[in-house]
Amino acid sequence: MSLVHRPFRGRPRRSDGDRPPLSLTHRAAAAALALSLAGCASVSPDGGERDVQALVARNPIVGDAAPRRAPDDASRQAVDALLAQPLDAQAAVRIALAHGPRMQEAFATLQLSDADRAQAASLPNPVFAFGRLREGRELELDRALSFNVLGLLTLPWQARWAGQRHEVAKLQAAQSVLQLAADTRRAWVRAVAAQQAVVYLRDGQAAAEAGADLAHRMARVGNWSALQRTREQLLLADASAQLARAEQNALASREQLTRLMGLTSAQSAYRLPDRLPPLPVSMPTLTDVQASALRDRLDVRAAQAQAAATADSLGLTQATRFVDALEIGAVRNTTFSNDADGGRSTQRGVELALPIPLFDWGLARNARAEALYGQSAARVRATGLLAASESREAYGGWRSAWDVAHRYQTEVLPLRQKVNDEMLLRYNGMLSSVWELLAETRASMLAVNAAMDAQRDFWLADTDLQLALTGSSPAGLNALQTSGDSVATNPAGAH
Amino acid sequence: MDRRHFFTGAATAVAAASVSRVALAALPDAHTQSSTATAAPLLPPDGRPYNPVVTLNGWTLPWRMNGNVKEFHLVAEPVVREMAPGFKVNMWGYNGQSPGPTIEVVEGDRVRIFVTNRLPEHTTVHWHGQRLPNGMDGVGGITQPHIPPGKTFAYEFVARRPGTFMYHPHADEMTQMAMGMMGFWVTHPKARHPLIAEVQRDFCFLLGSFDVEPGSATPKVNTMTDFNTWAFNSRVFPGIDSLNVRRGDRVRIRVGNLTMTNHPIHVHGHEFEVTGTDGGPVPKTARWPEVTTDIAVGQMRQVEFIADEEGDWALHCHKSHHTMGPMGHEVPTMIGVDHRGIAEKIQKLVPDYMVMGDKGMADMGAMEMPLPDNTLPMMAGQGPFGPAEMGGMFTLLKVRRDQRPGDYRDPGWFKHPAGTVAREVPGDSAPPAASPATPPATGSPDATVRRPAGHGGHAH
Repeated sequence: MSLVHRPFRGRPRRSDGDRPPLSLTHRAAAAALALSLAGCASVSPDGGERDVQALVARNPIVGDAAPRRAPDDASRQAVDALLAQPLDAQAAVRIALAHGPRMQEAFATLQLSDADRAQAASLPNPVFAFGRLREGRELELDRALSFNVLGLLTLPWQARWAGQRHEVAKLQAAQSVLQLAADTRRAWVRAVAAQQAVVYLRDGQAAAEAGADLAHRMARVGNWSALQRTREQLLLADASAQLARAEQNALASREQLTRLMGLTSAQSAYRLPDRLPPLPVSMPTLTDVQASALRDRLDVRAAQAQAAATADSLGLTQATRFVDALEIGAVRNTTFSNDADGGRSTQRGVELALPIPLFDWGLARNARAEALYGQSAARVRATGLLAASESREAYGGWRSAWDVAHRYQTEVLPLRQKVNDEMLLRYNGMLSSVWELLAETRASMLAVNAAMDAQRDFWLADTDLQLALTGSSPAGLNALQTSGDSVATNPAGAH
Repeated sequence: MDRRHFFTGAATAVAAASVSRVALAALPDAHTQSSTATAAPLLPPDGRPYNPVVTLNGWTLPWRMNGNVKEFHLVAEPVVREMAPGFKVNMWGYNGQSPGPTIEVVEGDRVRIFVTNRLPEHTTVHWHGQRLPNGMDGVGGITQPHIPPGKTFAYEFVARRPGTFMYHPHADEMTQMAMGMMGFWVTHPKARHPLIAEVQRDFCFLLGSFDVEPGSATPKVNTMTDFNTWAFNSRVFPGIDSLNVRRGDRVRIRVGNLTMTNHPIHVHGHEFEVTGTDGGPVPKTARWPEVTTDIAVGQMRQVEFIADEEGDWALHCHKSHHTMGPMGHEVPTMIGVDHRGIAEKIQKLVPDYMVMGDKGMADMGAMEMPLPDNTLPMMAGQGPFGPAEMGGMFTLLKVRRDQRPGDYRDPGWFKHPAGTVAREVPGDSAPPAASPATPPATGSPDATVRRPAGHGGHAH
């Protein structure tokens, strides 16, 4: 699998020498370039909004919705306009991406990374040292202006590395966008299905109520015993409990959607459509779901970028292995003799401070860098395996969910309807009673509910599949983010 | 029934096609019948003369004389019997019909009956009530080997005593009789008999019961008591022909019971005497007048009377469930139950729902509601004055002064002489009973007594 090998391309400790360490002159040139660029290293004015938008553009989960760093007046008005209509899934995603608190949090995280990047690309400040020494009547003033030369020399690395880190952060932010879009879509599906279930269970409860009412009247005129009447009342009690549970479920799933869209209670009176979208007519066949996941998934790309950045940072570690505090300074020492002639002498020179690698040979630093590299390489492999496996699982889940939902719609429900029709014919012939008719009606409501559950499960599986193929792990962004954080420990910044 | 429906020539050959060639050469024709109409009496073309019977919605099997032996050919086979117009049932029968054709012979005749088995399983025929050699009695495994599918067996005996008999399988008989395998046998007296009167009309039918699930077409053979289709000769009212006679005719009706319960058969407008049983003619000193005679399981009864009252007289089983089509035995009684407010609620869920049974079940006779396929209404039939509200074991004895001798055609509805029909008394309108507004207290020792005010009428 090429994926696994790719991050090893940048491995710096290769012995074949096809990538020799940069020579000092090169480094000086790089430093000069860094100096000239230093003035341009500023934080991005839009907080990475455009970059993230570009990364998620044309993703099927996001559609034409654009993630926004913060709501402005225009987006608030757009949200209000969307809320005035029955809210379809796409509108819910648009609101969540423009308005949702999780979106703002993702952009804030991205901004932090951007700030780090800008910081890393700035020149280290020069150090001015001043000393005033007196010996008898003799006064000595030492002035030294020194630069951390190593910081200067490694500035291009630092800048590049921070830039790479920021690219990873963008990929992660884009994943957050997709996760939010997927979560919103799922919540919308659940909320619509739960609301639909309530409607049908209300019918079921009405059937039970009619049966119980009639049973009561039967008992009152002496046609039925308490046992028979009570059985019908029991059915009603059971149907009412089912309805109450469904109503609670509808409320909870709607609130979940409301939270994801970041709506206030004033905005939460939106309407949902009566039903879920119909199933796609037929099952498309995806020839290679794994390949598409490995090519398109942002978490795979982020892990690869992370590994590349870590590999790159190893070059820096090599360079700073022995000398991690090389300082050069211009020194001007003036000595005042303070004697009668008021004589003074001035020394000018250059001072170089260099730690002697006597105890710290940089081995530990190097080992740490290598371990970090191994960690990120392993993470690339794990992410690749995860993506491939999840894509297969999601595709399988999608197919079976489609199968089940399709079967409900084309077989179970028509057959159920046929049973109802036949039962009515039996009722017509006094071959069965109105209670059997009502029981059949209740059974139908439950079948319709089961069919809706299947339709809901299909749309959930559909969202999972889109996410697994094009975005991220349907379940695993949190784990990824946690592991990403540990890489942020900057090996070059360890001094 | 003014026509003969006997197949001749080619049709007979087709019907017999599956019988082996060797056997065929020796066998009499296997006549078959496709019509469910009552066939006219078969006047004996040869052999000893007799006064033939009429099988209600059935026919008599022709025979051939082989020397001095009367040879018949019965074919046991699956058939589709139309029990009433539009209601067809998959049965097992003989020679195209269930019940099988009536076999008519004369006392003293030597009879040879070939029985071909075209059923999927073995069978035998038991000649119910006959005196015969034990090996001809048709008890599978006991007195003879079973007749395997595709085989033909011959029975041969002398019809020793006159009377009314039946034939039916005695092999897997619960299944085979539940599927409709049965037939009539009449042995006429060879000469005037002191206990057997000459009659102008001689009808016969068998009582059969079936359990046909509404919407299906094959009887449930494992049913023991809860049958839903009660039949005269595998026909149900209004699919049963009437018994049409001339006023003053002496009428004989022979009834055999092959159901699993007794049937009190009741005739309106006349008294009759039971003149014979399976055991033979009843001594005159033992006869008494009746209007209903109970026919127990496995019994035959032969009743006679002079049809001297003109009109359309009901003739039916007196068990009221037996004069009904299929009905839901678990349907609770809805009489007197207030449906106000509930019917609308149910209609919201079941738009085609209609309240039925809250005033009784007569609704069923009047309403034409769609039913499951191939299912009889619980009660049906229209008379000149309205719905007959009948089904099952019910028909009419039609007595007319101008019905010609030997003419069995249905004369139509009786034209009542002026002033002889029950009529409304003008100016009196008593309200119907059972108002749900005044419910009796259920659970009280005397449910008809109204409790003092304040009692909610709840069970306690």
